[in-house]
Amino acid sequence: MASVALDDVAPHQAMRRRGVSPIAWLAAPALLLFVIFFVLPFGAMAVLSLLSGNPATNPNVIWTTRHYERFLGDDLYSDALWSTLRIGLITTVFSLLVGYPLAHWMARMKSRIGHAALLMAVIAPMLTGIVVRTFAWMTILQDKGVINTTLIGMGLIAKPLPLMYNEFGTIVALVHIYVPFMVLTLTGVIGRIDERLEQAARNLGATRMRAFIEVTLPLSMPGILAGSLLVFALAISAYVTPFLMGGTNVLTLPMLIYQQVSSSFNVGFAGALGVVLLVVSLFIIVAYNRVLARLSGDEALT
Amino acid sequence: MSARRLDAGRVAYYTLNGAILTFLLLPLAIVAVFALNPTPYISFPPVGVTLRWFEKFFANEDFMRSLWLSLRVAAMVLVLSTVLGAMCALALARGRLPGAGILTAFFMSPLMLPAILTGLALFQVLLLSGVGRPVWGLVMGHTLVAVPYVLRTTLAVLANFDTRVEEAASSLGASPVRVFFEVTLPLIRPGVIAGGIFAFIVSFDQFPISLFLVLPKGETLPVVLFNYMKFDLDGAIAAASMVSIVMALSVVLLLERVIGLKAYVKL
Repeated sequence: MASVALDDVAPHQAMRRRGVSPIAWLAAPALLLFVIFFVLPFGAMAVLSLLSGNPATNPNVIWTTRHYERFLGDDLYSDALWSTLRIGLITTVFSLLVGYPLAHWMARMKSRIGHAALLMAVIAPMLTGIVVRTFAWMTILQDKGVINTTLIGMGLIAKPLPLMYNEFGTIVALVHIYVPFMVLTLTGVIGRIDERLEQAARNLGATRMRAFIEVTLPLSMPGILAGSLLVFALAISAYVTPFLMGGTNVLTLPMLIYQQVSSSFNVGFAGALGVVLLVVSLFIIVAYNRVLARLSGDEALT
Repeated sequence: MSARRLDAGRVAYYTLNGAILTFLLLPLAIVAVFALNPTPYISFPPVGVTLRWFEKFFANEDFMRSLWLSLRVAAMVLVLSTVLGAMCALALARGRLPGAGILTAFFMSPLMLPAILTGLALFQVLLLSGVGRPVWGLVMGHTLVAVPYVLRTTLAVLANFDTRVEEAASSLGASPVRVFFEVTLPLIRPGVIAGGIFAFIVSFDQFPISLFLVLPKGETLPVVLFNYMKFDLDGAIAAASMVSIVMALSVVLLLERVIGLKAYVKL
């Protein structure tokens, strides 16, 4: 969904020699909005992270690196960063495992109605609010939830299994929330792979499985990479799900950031934590755009 | 390869995909079950059917105030992001701008940058400028994440249409303004409408930005739900959740009719 339609723009680069058209001015209002409400705020966040207090209320603020020193000096914060990245990584791997078969099915679906139905099944959960989907998983995974009461009712377990208020529950719900992004990215790429390549491999004696592993899977690598980067970027910024599903056993960077604003009122330290998360995200976004640019220029796939 | 092994492979393939579809859709169905189950707390299996949770939801002042605010904000975001996004898409696709690719990536970036940071950054700049937390701040924050959707659907339509149609109109003597209103606009309309629908639902469900920008007693529905869920899990939450689920389902059907969801998969 967040994939950038670079290939949409490419044909028009050929016309560039005719010079910039007055139509380009139509981008001005959007640009203005983005500068005032996007670029400027992120700049303010970076500035606040280097100040000792809020300059709007306190005239005696000074430049300081103490928020960053605090981040580096306490294991609590590096642990939170580490668990954010770990949860993001595990979520990404499982989203890929869950998303790939579905994307493959959708890309190879011949029936128009079947294809539309599958798309709806993927997009409907995606457009349901994150709070709502997290609630759904709470009702399924809590001690008195669907799974535990069913298993106890069947006499299979005596005590409820610890499915929630830990990393397990957090990751299950995160995979559910972000798997549609993986599916949509992968479907686009798998759909562009010429099916005859796989057919040729099978005609030459490869089994269905071998043809998939040696032909389709390597050709879908750019999609796997783009989808994984997207899901990772989204998963490390999740707040609601780790908060509600993780309980007191999970602490991630987004949770720390909101805590600093809501209960500690330390906007400077919140800014420093934000800058750390921002730097990680920017690396991922740059990598993602590189993959997409290569993908749209890759003739072998089309 | 024997025909039997091939069949076993097929069966495994469809079983796996069936399981994945169940994983995707069952949680939404379970919310519907709890919205209708009369027991005071979430409990399974359901013991009956009642509408009391929907009554509780619609009678609750906090829920109704926030639902109304969410709908109002979403409507404003729809208008603002549709106009800005469609204009921006035209500029990017037709403006012959150097660096249009990078600019497109920039306009799409609110989708990948952590929304919680966009919320924090907006909160901080409003704090620094002493503006407080007005509703227009919320609208602007949501518009930032909604514009990329309009941009995406409109660019997809623009990429697919033949510029010779416009050239033909102007060589027949139509002014650029007339070409725009009589040729370009009708052609890109499905993309713009689809983008507007996305913008509405994205704003309606938006959480991380709202979390930073709402005032007490001035929260949007997702924030009220979240605060309620921290202490209490009852059928009222399930009933409120149904609002979001029903809206998502209607939007999906609507989008399929307007533009075909397929346009959305295009990378």
